[in-house]
Amino acid sequence: MTRHALIAALLAASSLGAAPALAQTASEKLDALDKRITRLEDLDQIERLQRLYGYFVDKGQWTQLSELFSDDATLEIGGKGLFLGKKRVLEYMQTAFGPDGAREGGLANHMQFQTLPDVSPDNKTGWIRSRAWVMSSGGWGLPLYENAYRKENGVWKITRLSGPFTMYSSWAGWGKDALNNTWPDKFNPAPDLPPSTIYLTYPAYYIAPFHYPNPVTGKVFKPEMDEVGAYAGPPGSAVQKKWRETGRLVDGSQPIGEPPKE
Amino acid sequence: MSAHKTLKAALLLGLATTMTAPAFAQGDLAARVAAYKQRVTLLEDQDAIENLQATYGYYFDKGLWAQAAALFTKTGSFEYGQRGVYIGSARIQRALLLFGPEGLAAGYLNTHMMLQPYIVVATDGKTATGRWQGMMQLARPGANGVWGVGITNADYVKEAGVWKIARLHFYVTAQTDYDLGFTKSALPTEGPNALFPPDKPPTEQYRSFPGAYIPPFNFNHPVTGKPLKDIPQPVDSVTGRGK
Repeated sequence: MTRHALIAALLAASSLGAAPALAQTASEKLDALDKRITRLEDLDQIERLQRLYGYFVDKGQWTQLSELFSDDATLEIGGKGLFLGKKRVLEYMQTAFGPDGAREGGLANHMQFQTLPDVSPDNKTGWIRSRAWVMSSGGWGLPLYENAYRKENGVWKITRLSGPFTMYSSWAGWGKDALNNTWPDKFNPAPDLPPSTIYLTYPAYYIAPFHYPNPVTGKVFKPEMDEVGAYAGPPGSAVQKKWRETGRLVDGSQPIGEPPKE
Repeated sequence: MSAHKTLKAALLLGLATTMTAPAFAQGDLAARVAAYKQRVTLLEDQDAIENLQATYGYYFDKGLWAQAAALFTKTGSFEYGQRGVYIGSARIQRALLLFGPEGLAAGYLNTHMMLQPYIVVATDGKTATGRWQGMMQLARPGANGVWGVGITNADYVKEAGVWKIARLHFYVTAQTDYDLGFTKSALPTEGPNALFPPDKPPTEQYRSFPGAYIPPFNFNHPVTGKPLKDIPQPVDSVTGRGK
């Protein structure tokens, strides 16, 4: 389904496009308005969730961080591979980065910027493209995020955290120094699944696929690398094949909800 | 912001005409409109608060102390690092001179980016809390440039329809010499100033990097609903905190 067809379907569903305006009852108008307000609230909640994730990373609040995830969530950061489920998210953080809490001599700020949230037409699924700017005692870092979220009983949770790295450098600066991407056995714990994508960080070049089309042309921009992107399973696996088809349009984008138009 | 305004306009105008139709249960519709109006107002409040704090940041960056101080309530408080608390907009305006002359001067850089907002507006729409984070880029005449990072905790209050800052507390997380970086340099935070002492001592005692400190979270976890303010503070080997 194209984006335009999707919008048309939405308009038809809300009866705004199909029926004359006069036939719309006050109750129907209010339904449409409710949907628009809900969409704004949902976009806001998703942005906040991502920002709070960052505040918890800063200070090593791993328990509270893991509680932002759904029970069946997946997490993949850098080239480390996939961790499956909320419990493994917590285990990964506490094993790789130490027990809960900040420590003297450490600085691990993961500031969350440039959030671009979207929600599905049924207001139940959300996505974000955003980034972190890492200012740490070790140097600079620049992860990107293409995450997914789900509304469970009115509360938004992270269902998929994909954080491919763009650049990491020591305090010598990226003009002089660049760190490699991480890999599955670089540090403990071992992942549940190997990395979904093999890519190199700066000075190499890698584009994480966008979950949304170009907002002006309406066309999906598809990086040439067809299988890239941090997904729910390793390349070629049944899990990843299913995930790539679930909730995705034929052109590879997500079925993003548009607010009902007047 | 325009989306919020459109919604409000729709609420006030578009629906009002439909509401006069007698065939519907007027009470139900009126209740729905009232509920939606409150939800839109809360979104507008959050937006206004984000703009207020961003505005404060833009004024603070450029040494526009009179403008910055005017954003506080009459009894508002300002606390920066370990400098202590200044109370009331007049006292705050004078305290801001500790960061440089009004309008700054050649050789000054006072950038405190206000980013990553997490605003929680009270359901009655009268008060709010905010948490912000951002980089600092500092320079003083005759001194090397400084890189830094810090967190802002703030309370806001709506007075006669206008959001104001009731309490602003900036926590210096870390500061370093521009050329050396955190691997080689950690600059300490300044204490209370002898020339213009604060009205109250610092509300919380901490060291910036290499010390570790968690500015309290003044809101509940959005998923579990549990309070976050009781998260234990990291050990501090100088003060003995947490040992």
